[in-house]
Amino acid sequence: MSSPFQKLIAALLFLAIHSGLHAIEDPGRTRIAELRVTVYHATDGDPNAAGPRALPVPHATSSRFSSEERLRFKHYRQIGRDASPLLRSYESWSQPLKPSDEVMLRVEAQGQPTKKSAQLDLELWLSRKKILKMDAKLEDTKPLYVLGPEWRDGRLIIAISLAPNSKRR
Amino acid sequence: MLALWLEDELDGEDFAKVEAWAQSQPYQLAMRKSARKWKAMISAGIPASEEPPYPDFFNARIARSISQQKAQEAPEAKRENTVPFWRKFALPLAAGIGMAFTFWLGIHSRSIPVVESIAEMTAPGEMTQLADASENLPATVYTPENGVRAECFDSDAASATVVILEGLTAIPKETDLTRQTAAKDASREIDSTAQAELPASKDPKP
Repeated sequence: MSSPFQKLIAALLFLAIHSGLHAIEDPGRTRIAELRVTVYHATDGDPNAAGPRALPVPHATSSRFSSEERLRFKHYRQIGRDASPLLRSYESWSQPLKPSDEVMLRVEAQGQPTKKSAQLDLELWLSRKKILKMDAKLEDTKPLYVLGPEWRDGRLIIAISLAPNSKRR
Repeated sequence: MLALWLEDELDGEDFAKVEAWAQSQPYQLAMRKSARKWKAMISAGIPASEEPPYPDFFNARIARSISQQKAQEAPEAKRENTVPFWRKFALPLAAGIGMAFTFWLGIHSRSIPVVESIAEMTAPGEMTQLADASENLPATVYTPENGVRAECFDSDAASATVVILEGLTAIPKETDLTRQTAAKDASREIDSTAQAELPASKDPKP
C-alpha cells in the first residue's frame, strides 16, 4: 500500500506544512512598534478647498502646527490616515491617502525601539517618486512633520508618530 | 594391443593371439626387437628402483622456510613486549589533554575584543555622554529627486522634528485625495510590500 511514491508525496507534504508553519512563526515579522501616518491640508485660503470629506483637526494639533512658524497656516484639515506596523526585520508601507498612492511612506526599523523612541529608516514617496530618504528618530512626544507639496491653495503636512499604545520592547 | 605387444606388456591369451599373428609379420617382429633393444639400453642407464628425490626435497624446503620464518618473528614479538607500559597510554593521554585545552581556550577566548576594550577604556560617564551625543545628532536627509531640497530641524515650539520640502511639483487641484477620510481609522495591516495591496501600476516601488 505504501509505495515509495506515496512515501515521497507524504514527505513533501510534511515539508510544505512544516515550512509554512515556519514562515508563520518568522520572528522577523514581529511587530516591534506601530506608526501613525496622518496627512493634513494646511491653507491660508478657503478651508473647504480640501473637499467635503476632509475632517476637522483637534485644536491641540492645529495649535501645535501653528507654534512652528514654518508650519503656520490659518486652517488645517485631516485628509488621510494610516496605521502601519514596524516590523523587526522587514520594511512596511503606509498609504495614508488610500486608495490614492499620491503619498506613500516606507519605514524600516534601524534597531530595537526603546520604551520612549524608535530609530527608523524612512522614505517618502510622492506621485510614485522617492522624494525623501532619512533616518528619523521618533519619540512618544516628538513626531516628525514633513511639509510636503502644494495642493489646492495650500500644502500637505505629513505627520509621522509612534502610536501611543503600541507595545515596544 | 599391438603397442602393448611391442612393449612386452601383453600376457595370457592376448599375448598368444598377437604372437601367433606376428609370426607372419616380419616388420612387426623387427619393431619389437628394436623396442627391446632400446629398453635394455635405458634400463642399463637408469636404475629402475630409484625414485626421484623431488617430494622429499620439496617438503624439506617448506619445513626449512617455516622454521626460518618462525625464527625471524620470534625476536620481533619480544621487541613489542619490551615497550614500556606508560608509553602505551602517554601519547593518547597527551593528545586528549591537548584537545581539551584547545576546546577550553576556544570557549574562553574572545574573537573580537575591540568593542569591549573600547567600552572598558571609556569611563561610564563618558559612555553616557557619547550615547547622548549620538542621540542628538541631526537626522541625515537625502533627496534623490532633482530640484527638490529638504531642510530638517528640531522645532522646540512644536516639540517635533520638522522637514521642509521645497521644489516639489504641486499636486493638481482636480486630484481628489480625500476619498479615504469617510472611513476614518479603518484598521489595516501592511506587513510588508509582498502583502500590500498596491495597484499593479505602482512602479517603481520595490
